[in-house]
Amino acid sequence: MDQSQLRALEARCIQEEMPFCTASCPIHVDARGLMALLTRGELREARKILDRTMPFPEILGRICDQPCHPFCKRGEIGDPLWIGPLERYCVSVTDTVLKPPKLPVKGGAVAVLGAGFSGMTAALDLSRKGRPATLITARTRLGGSLPDRAGSLLPPEVFDQAEATLKRYGAEIVTGASLDRQTVAALLDKYDVLYFDWDDFTIDHLPFIPGTPDPISLALERDGCFGGGGVEDGKPFSIMHQAENGRRAALSMERYLQGVSLTAEREKEGACPTRMYTVTEGIPPASEIVPDNPIAGYTAEEAQREAARCIYCECLECVKKCAYLQEYKEYPKTLVRKTYNNLSIVQGNRSANKLTNSCSLCWQCTVICPYDFPVASACHAARQEMVASGHMPPSAHSFALEEMHYTLGENCALIRHQPGTTASRYLFFPGCQLTGTYPDTVERTYIFLTQHLEDGVGLFLSCCGAPADWAGQSALFTDVLADLTAQIRQMGNPTLIVACSSCLAAFGKYAPELTVVSLWQMLDELPLPEVLFDLPESPLTVHDPCTARYQEGVRASVRSICGKIGLPVAETTIGAELADCCGYGGLLQFANQPLGEKVATLKVSRSTTETGLVYCAMCRENLVGTETHIAHLLDYLFADPEKNPLVRAKVGLSGRHEHRSRLKSRLQSTLWQDLIGSPAPHRAIRLEADDETWALLNERLILMEDIQKVIHHAETTGRYLHNPANGRRLAAFKPVVVTYWAEYEPISDGYFLHRGYSHRMQLPEDRA
Amino acid sequence: MSTFSFAEATEWRCAACDQPLQPAKVKVTYLNAVFNVELMVCPACDFILVPENLAMGKMLEVEQLLEDK
Repeated sequence: MDQSQLRALEARCIQEEMPFCTASCPIHVDARGLMALLTRGELREARKILDRTMPFPEILGRICDQPCHPFCKRGEIGDPLWIGPLERYCVSVTDTVLKPPKLPVKGGAVAVLGAGFSGMTAALDLSRKGRPATLITARTRLGGSLPDRAGSLLPPEVFDQAEATLKRYGAEIVTGASLDRQTVAALLDKYDVLYFDWDDFTIDHLPFIPGTPDPISLALERDGCFGGGGVEDGKPFSIMHQAENGRRAALSMERYLQGVSLTAEREKEGACPTRMYTVTEGIPPASEIVPDNPIAGYTAEEAQREAARCIYCECLECVKKCAYLQEYKEYPKTLVRKTYNNLSIVQGNRSANKLTNSCSLCWQCTVICPYDFPVASACHAARQEMVASGHMPPSAHSFALEEMHYTLGENCALIRHQPGTTASRYLFFPGCQLTGTYPDTVERTYIFLTQHLEDGVGLFLSCCGAPADWAGQSALFTDVLADLTAQIRQMGNPTLIVACSSCLAAFGKYAPELTVVSLWQMLDELPLPEVLFDLPESPLTVHDPCTARYQEGVRASVRSICGKIGLPVAETTIGAELADCCGYGGLLQFANQPLGEKVATLKVSRSTTETGLVYCAMCRENLVGTETHIAHLLDYLFADPEKNPLVRAKVGLSGRHEHRSRLKSRLQSTLWQDLIGSPAPHRAIRLEADDETWALLNERLILMEDIQKVIHHAETTGRYLHNPANGRRLAAFKPVVVTYWAEYEPISDGYFLHRGYSHRMQLPEDRA
Repeated sequence: MSTFSFAEATEWRCAACDQPLQPAKVKVTYLNAVFNVELMVCPACDFILVPENLAMGKMLEVEQLLEDK
């Protein structure tokens, strides 16, 4: 991704778009910020906002005609905010706090004819830009028609203050001037660029035909002449219109003097549309606060209450739902900027590696976003780049990838035609995690399919390669998928019956040549087995997996099956195409364990009943980890009737690892009557440990088999440490990259494990 | 290069050599970085002890720092 692609991507996130008040304000006053400060009673800071944006806030702030009013989102839930009267309150109780800087004086002779508010604004803005203007009026004072129109709202001293401000920035003020045609003609010769303020200059005195001012630049027919202000056709006098025209003209005149385009890139000037998206649902309505004394305006207490009605329009719709974005306090725009900058670091810490690896790649935010911001694809692409450039932290995904290799290897992988047949019309693909969590259920499901489908149902125990894809290992993923499809071809291209939504999504996206059907949709079409349990009376909340987001048919079949077997179910508060991830997606829980747990807890919190139902093996593992009663739908269809589906324990990493290889050897001997070779000697070691130790190993991503290897190595070589005080042994072994340590003691028919830990740092080769 | 010492008196003895462990300088490496540290080692067979608090503490911290370089 290059800078321009990044900017195009960033632009899809609307969080930094102007809120409705600011966008509809002709000079874009940050009314949202102003409301926040007024609510907190921080008047000096509030005044700074006005000083920063408004020309002559002591005038404009008192009589702003608030064109933002009809656009205020609060209007959907109560009354729109009275921002104008709040500005009036603010300038009435504060003096100028901020004086915007003045740029060094540049060349150019600049005149403003007519000192109405637009002329004053043009003169001020130009003088601040280093183009000191001569402000000329036929009247004896500044303000054009303003003093007459505003009456008591504007104390006379505000014009003195405005005059002082103009002079401070270097403007020259000429009052009581004669502005007849002849004089104006002379001024046209004297000045390089001129502005005519129609509120204080009679158009008949122009020695040329002005034409209609250009709506973007306010340029008149004559070169170097601009005109604006006054009353628009059919509209009442608007002070904001004066301010906007003065500011617009000043920018045009500056551009004119610079010799650049008068009209380019000015779309956001003046009142403009905004792409901001703000949901008001759930916000309690609140009525306007009317001042007790309308002439005096708001009191401090009234102003605070009125400002407090602001709902601070912003989007953050994705952030409201996503634990990941909340954790990192980012929204998509800032997030992709950080991941991009992280990739560009040449020297120094790549501090956003973990951020990039902590997205579950679940696409929930994209579905929520009104502009479909693809956070998942941005994070995924960043991971691929990290891998390609050798900057992916090895520890982030190594456990998951090693497990994937193990599942694809000879210990676990199996592809066979149905026993007694030589061809398969179907091929059941339960996936790596279902096999790991429920090997018995996988076996029963397979036998059921062989009994109910004709022309042969083969079995394929393997992994779809999704972990490699999620880890950004594109080349590895391509290899895995190519190998899988080659094996399926050799089986005669049977229809793949896929249990896991992730596999289904991966095959659908990356191997469209395969014929794939969801197990759930297949089961929904078959006569279902008799349920051997007492079904619960209270409904179970169905938690859709995030990978079924785009699998509407799968979600419908699951509910249909529940209906057919009489299992009462309820829906989550957020599910279906908006379902949260359980923590496994994108290998989040390996890259960021604590966040993985938070994500699982959030998913469970969407329940509407005490118990839950899932149809993804990893959802069950992770949601059960939150100590909630969650059943897997296959448990009700095919599990051991002795075991209550709602109270089955979490299987854990070691359990899943063991189950995969045991299932293969068991099925080989029971279904195909193969002769099974002896397992590796370390696997014969019997290990005991208390629950805390097993949990610790799980947390540290250490498998029971890793510990068995350590003990086997220690006991066969005699290389271990010994503690005479308690009889324990301590040994280490490095099977591949990670060095594992086990503190254990021999017991009658095996070993009791006390501690297990690991490190990736390498000890001298010959010393380990 | 300076040497950090993580050597602490320990009850662990080398079972094969029946020796108490002694502090010794060891070069540990990770992702092209080399550190000289002092650890408890069997003086006869060079079996190096990496205690749990070191592996899961300072060592893990340094591993993660290096991975983000």
